[in-house]
Amino acid sequence: MTMPPFLRAAAGPLKLMLQDRLAVIGLCVLGVIIAMALLAPMIATHDPRQINEIEDGSVLVRGTDTWELSESLGPLALNDADHRGNEALIVGREGTVWERDGDDWRRVQVPVAADLHAVAFGPQAGALIVGDSSTVLAQVGEGWRVIDPPRPADLRGVAWIDPDSALIVGAGEEIWRLDVASGDITEIDSPVGRGFALASVARDTDGTLLAVGARGLAVRYDPATGAATLDRLGSSRDLNHIHIAPGGAALVVGERGTLLRRDGPEARWQTDTAPDTRALRAGWIDDGGRAVAVGRNGIAMEWDGDAWQLATTESERHLRALLIEGDRWLALGSDRFVTRLAPPSAEHWFGTDHLGRDLYSQNVHGSRIALLVGFLGATLVVLIGTNVGLIAGYYRGRTEAVLMRTVDVMYGIPFEPFALILVLLFQPSLLIVILAVSLLTWRTVARLIRSQVLSLRERPFVKAARVAGASDLRIMYLHIFPNVMPLVFLELAIIVGVSIIAEATLSFLGLGPPHSISWGGILHDARLSGAWRTAWWWNLPPGIFIMVTVLSVFFVSRSLEVVANPRLRARQ
Amino acid sequence: MSRRTYLIKRVFQAILSLWIIATILFFLFRMGLPDPTAALITEGLNPEQREAVRAQFGLDQPVWQQYFLFLSNAVQGEFGTSFSYRAPVAGIVWERLANTMILMLAAIVLAYGIGVPLGAWLSWRRGSRVDTAGIFVGLMFRSAPMFWTGMIAILIFGVTLSLMPTSGMRTLPYDAVGFWDKVLTLDFLWHAVLPVMIVALYYLGSPLLIMRNTMLEVYGEDFIEMARAKGLPERDILYKHAARNALLPVVTQLAVTIGLAAGGQVVVEVVFSWPGLGREILNAVRTSDFPLAQASFLIMAAFVITLNLFVDILYTTLDPRVSFR
Repeated sequence: MTMPPFLRAAAGPLKLMLQDRLAVIGLCVLGVIIAMALLAPMIATHDPRQINEIEDGSVLVRGTDTWELSESLGPLALNDADHRGNEALIVGREGTVWERDGDDWRRVQVPVAADLHAVAFGPQAGALIVGDSSTVLAQVGEGWRVIDPPRPADLRGVAWIDPDSALIVGAGEEIWRLDVASGDITEIDSPVGRGFALASVARDTDGTLLAVGARGLAVRYDPATGAATLDRLGSSRDLNHIHIAPGGAALVVGERGTLLRRDGPEARWQTDTAPDTRALRAGWIDDGGRAVAVGRNGIAMEWDGDAWQLATTESERHLRALLIEGDRWLALGSDRFVTRLAPPSAEHWFGTDHLGRDLYSQNVHGSRIALLVGFLGATLVVLIGTNVGLIAGYYRGRTEAVLMRTVDVMYGIPFEPFALILVLLFQPSLLIVILAVSLLTWRTVARLIRSQVLSLRERPFVKAARVAGASDLRIMYLHIFPNVMPLVFLELAIIVGVSIIAEATLSFLGLGPPHSISWGGILHDARLSGAWRTAWWWNLPPGIFIMVTVLSVFFVSRSLEVVANPRLRARQ
Repeated sequence: MSRRTYLIKRVFQAILSLWIIATILFFLFRMGLPDPTAALITEGLNPEQREAVRAQFGLDQPVWQQYFLFLSNAVQGEFGTSFSYRAPVAGIVWERLANTMILMLAAIVLAYGIGVPLGAWLSWRRGSRVDTAGIFVGLMFRSAPMFWTGMIAILIFGVTLSLMPTSGMRTLPYDAVGFWDKVLTLDFLWHAVLPVMIVALYYLGSPLLIMRNTMLEVYGEDFIEMARAKGLPERDILYKHAARNALLPVVTQLAVTIGLAAGGQVVVEVVFSWPGLGREILNAVRTSDFPLAQASFLIMAAFVITLNLFVDILYTTLDPRVSFR
């Protein structure tokens, strides 16, 4: 089977191109990018639109003027911490227990895997940990003993009554008195009895214990009488944590920035105004007038003697516990938090953006719009330009005058502003973007093809065809067109590059196809968020992708130029 | 065709082009924004004021009457009042156009001033590593979108090194009476460095590559052989004989570039907050400031066409071989 002439004409350039090293590199890179666009969902590590969250055993240390992020303790959230002298313990989710070891922390193995919520050192010896699934752990020498619970419950807080016994509170309004030596648990009736969650408990200076919980519930347990009575702190919000200093100053924190403070054992509880209304999860106060509270999204606030001041924190992690020893202040967290503006890591190769979306996946998906608009736009441009050029060059006369004056008019329209107006007037959509990209660009193609056709139409083979009785259409498309083919390919390649940049430009200005992910769009987000001035991983990759794609298209077109212009070929 | 008739014909063509563009623009806006005053209701304009604006643009009349009103207003330079600035549109547009032109012309002069000699030099060292590197760098800046190179430049020189101002034309606040008072200062120069560099780097590629390629073609000509045979030094052959004859295609490209300069580089103006015409069009259409958007585009197109016309006329003077079509 013989090849049709136009196919043979198309195969010629390809053979020549393969001799040019830069063109081969260009073709290879382009191939990789096309493959990336086609296989985007498989190559991308994440859904590009998904907001990514991670859990982390975060530790923030209070520095001179900000809470600084310190090395994480494992991948699981930390829920509570306590210390006695030099000893310190941190507990967290799924049976996580960390013990201080010199300047470092050492993971302690415990025989449970439930989420642990509270830890408390005994006044002289021992320590207790409580958590979900009725977990109660008592420290025995170096190891931990599991204490059998009377019934299933999710336990939230623990405080020592005296060196031999402790009070445990739970999410189902459980109030359990534990005899540490024997492991016996006595259930104490709550004065409310409606299943309100109790979140935290602390020992007051008069020997009673105060537990706080949902809807402002406060229960005071007196070990002398063995009964629990209702107390009022002056809030009906969910309370999350209580801390009582040895001298009687006390702080209770809760949802929506609830801060309840008591200056001394006899003082009244007063409600403070918080500088932020997000949930507070842990508080600490001493008798010298220092206090601190931490909560969700990296909120940390400090009492300056008159008011609570918001402190700056290095991260938006959820803080759940405080560990305060002298001047060393630690804030611990963090259950699942949005990984905003994370630098490149093994999980997110190109980091994340301001909404915690994976940038590598966005860049991979971005290649689709770029290539789609690039190739569709260029095809449209070349289709219009070639036909206008062919018709104008072949028919001459009035047809040519009208067509070429149209081209002249188009040269009077600046490209970018025109595309802007078009897209802005007619709502951005993929079609409008492609039209905006291609409606003006065909002017160069038409001019080039026409000038080529002008010389071709005087060639003997065209005259011969005419004499043989070939129709105008036949002469134009079967005889002249194959001869301008190399030029058409050259223009196609150049305009693919132009279209890719044009699409990126429109997307960068926020006028790209809506709900699409594109390289220009990533840069648009980066610029809009303002974070691009620090987050280099955000704005570097999309630009490099655009540059590499367009550059490889240019390399290909350069070798096509050699094909189209034999004078260049002869010289090299 | 004599030179005189050519010129007359060319001017007539330019006017025709402008009329066609104005017509396209008019209908484009009527299709996209059937009632441009709709945006004014949110601005807190009462119905009477809105009617006044509608009358000013003849929006209460049939489309063909609106069209003639638009044309006659445009010819008289009467573009109405900007919705958002509450000031005559023409004054705003001319100032923005001047801002754009000074940025673009500085960049084009820089790009061609460096690109042309560099291209000639690269052709002399053809096939060497310098040649390959030169082509590569030229193409690289041509391939990188300017908004990205601009952002990276701001990141490096503005944020990290804190060397350069990264937005606007002058440090705010400043008082300047008129355009030249604003521009003829060191402060302006300092603000212009980064945007001009970015645009110049983008433009650098074409004079560089065109010059290099044309030089290579010129090397094959007989008069170069002749000069060699006479024993002239290679440097003289390069700059005195070859380069002069290779300039023409570069000048053609320069003409096209200058001709479209008024269109500016919208993204560069956006990234560097340069108060140019392109950025103004973007803002105008975004805020539905329809008189400003329409006038900006029309004046921009008029400027592009006029520049094209001048460049064409200049070109025929420069190269007598160009036949008058």
